[in-house]
Amino acid sequence: MSHNKRVELSRRSVIKGGLLLGTVAAIGLMPIKLLRAEETVKENAEPKTKKQIGFSYDEAKCIKCENCVRICQETYKWETDAPWRKLLRNEKGDALSMSCNHCADPACAKVCPVNAYTKRESDGVVIQDSSKCVGCGYCLYACPYHAPHIQKKSGAVSKCHFCYKLQDSGSGPMCVGVCPTQALTMGDMKELSQKGNLNYKGLPNPKITNPSMIAIPK
Amino acid sequence: MGHWGWLIAIYLFLGGLGAGAYLTSFAAEKGFLGKKTNLNQVGYYVSAPIVAFGALLLITDLGQGLKKPWLIINMFLNFSSVMTWGIYILTAFIFVAFIKAFFVWKKRQAPDVLSYIGAILALATAAYTGMLLAVIEGVPFWNSYLMPVVFVVSALSTGLSLTSLLAHFFEKQHQVHEERVSQVHLWLVSMEILSITAFFALIYSGSQGAVAKLSANLLLTESLALPFWLLLILAGLVGPLVFYVQQSRCQKKAPLAMKEQNLSENADMPAGVNQGASAKSQNALLLCDGAVMVGGLTLRCLIVFAALPVWNGLLS
Ligand code: SF4
Ligand code: SF4
Repeated sequence: MSHNKRVELSRRSVIKGGLLLGTVAAIGLMPIKLLRAEETVKENAEPKTKKQIGFSYDEAKCIKCENCVRICQETYKWETDAPWRKLLRNEKGDALSMSCNHCADPACAKVCPVNAYTKRESDGVVIQDSSKCVGCGYCLYACPYHAPHIQKKSGAVSKCHFCYKLQDSGSGPMCVGVCPTQALTMGDMKELSQKGNLNYKGLPNPKITNPSMIAIPK
Repeated sequence: MGHWGWLIAIYLFLGGLGAGAYLTSFAAEKGFLGKKTNLNQVGYYVSAPIVAFGALLLITDLGQGLKKPWLIINMFLNFSSVMTWGIYILTAFIFVAFIKAFFVWKKRQAPDVLSYIGAILALATAAYTGMLLAVIEGVPFWNSYLMPVVFVVSALSTGLSLTSLLAHFFEKQHQVHEERVSQVHLWLVSMEILSITAFFALIYSGSQGAVAKLSANLLLTESLALPFWLLLILAGLVGPLVFYVQQSRCQKKAPLAMKEQNLSENADMPAGVNQGASAKSQNALLLCDGAVMVGGLTLRCLIVFAALPVWNGLLS
């Protein structure tokens, strides 16, 4: 009798445990769906700053000379395993020249504890001040595009700043200036976003940070 | 991609552990862990030093901040950064827990509001360790609202274990064997199993995206499967669960046995047997507490190591 009872008890508790597990799993699944819905509503093409400039990459025009990468490195002397700009390529022959995308919702700026990142109101450029950076590495996880890197020597993060000093003095960024075929150009996102987006060959969902860059596949 | 490794994982673990230890002693002081308890002090003593040591690990993991420590003060600046929140929460908690420990040490009654503020900060500390990861959309595996839940439950469980262990060794004068403690721990371990299950269910439901599943695969079947199943699930959760279930069963029978023992003429023999048995279960209890903590540390390490970026940096 007592033996029987115990078996029954444990069976009952197994069923109970299973039910509980199921409920918890269901609870786990429910609200995220709601959150998702909210997210799509929140999705914004509207710029957050007075103006937002961005890059444009036209794959068909790119001859993969890597001038853009080289001039950037020569000018700003970043360590080669902590690049500001990269020419991504795959075996199929596809390519993309990419740096920081000066996102409309920069995840880097949100997480950086020391406020090393600022987004300029005048043109939406995201500038990171290496002299403030403590090197916690938080922004490296936050940025979906692997744009910020820690420079080994200084222990501080740096990344592309759209050559903002050159731009302030009236000329354009180095990479754009040196591109022989005008595959890499820049412009106002109001116009660029009419022509394309950054939903490109495996890149992350642009909704995460609203990058200010478009890539036109060939 | 990021460079977080052992130091950050241990930091997250210690944050939870210290917070949990405080909450254990707080619960004991308020009478939630049985009428007679020896858990109402040690947790208070160790909580601030543990969290402070964790924070020190975070600082040694910094890059430029380590060479130019004056920059660290700026970590209070960005109110939209969870790391900044954490710096505030940890600082406040270390401060309050330290004062509380001082009162306990002086055997004086601390103001009630101090203890309560400490408890709230302890909860915040534990939750923060999860939030730090949960807000990162760039790592889909972390980016789940269940992450802080898992971390808080684990913090409570490891804190209770640490406090029990320390009380066993340092509060020798009054050893008490409260069944309530085992019951609470049974409940905590069950909650942890449930929340981890829900966490993985959420990921495999697909709502976190394909990369989160890849991270989860690392833990369940791939390179991190061994520590996951052996250290976290088996040693850290299922083992303790089985033990606490058994304990609460034995203890239900115990009052009866005691009565019988009192009635018996030949009191020496059963008492001796009983002592042997209780020493054995005492050892098992200590082992269990150790295993819970190993599980907690393993959990933090695995979560940090399984982080895969939402984009692998390659063109597809
Ligand atoms: S690409 Fe990365 S670093 Fe650049 S603004 Fe966007 S989130 Fe920040
Ligand atoms: S690594 Fe530097 S720039 Fe990045 S979040 Fe930390 S302090 Fe800010």
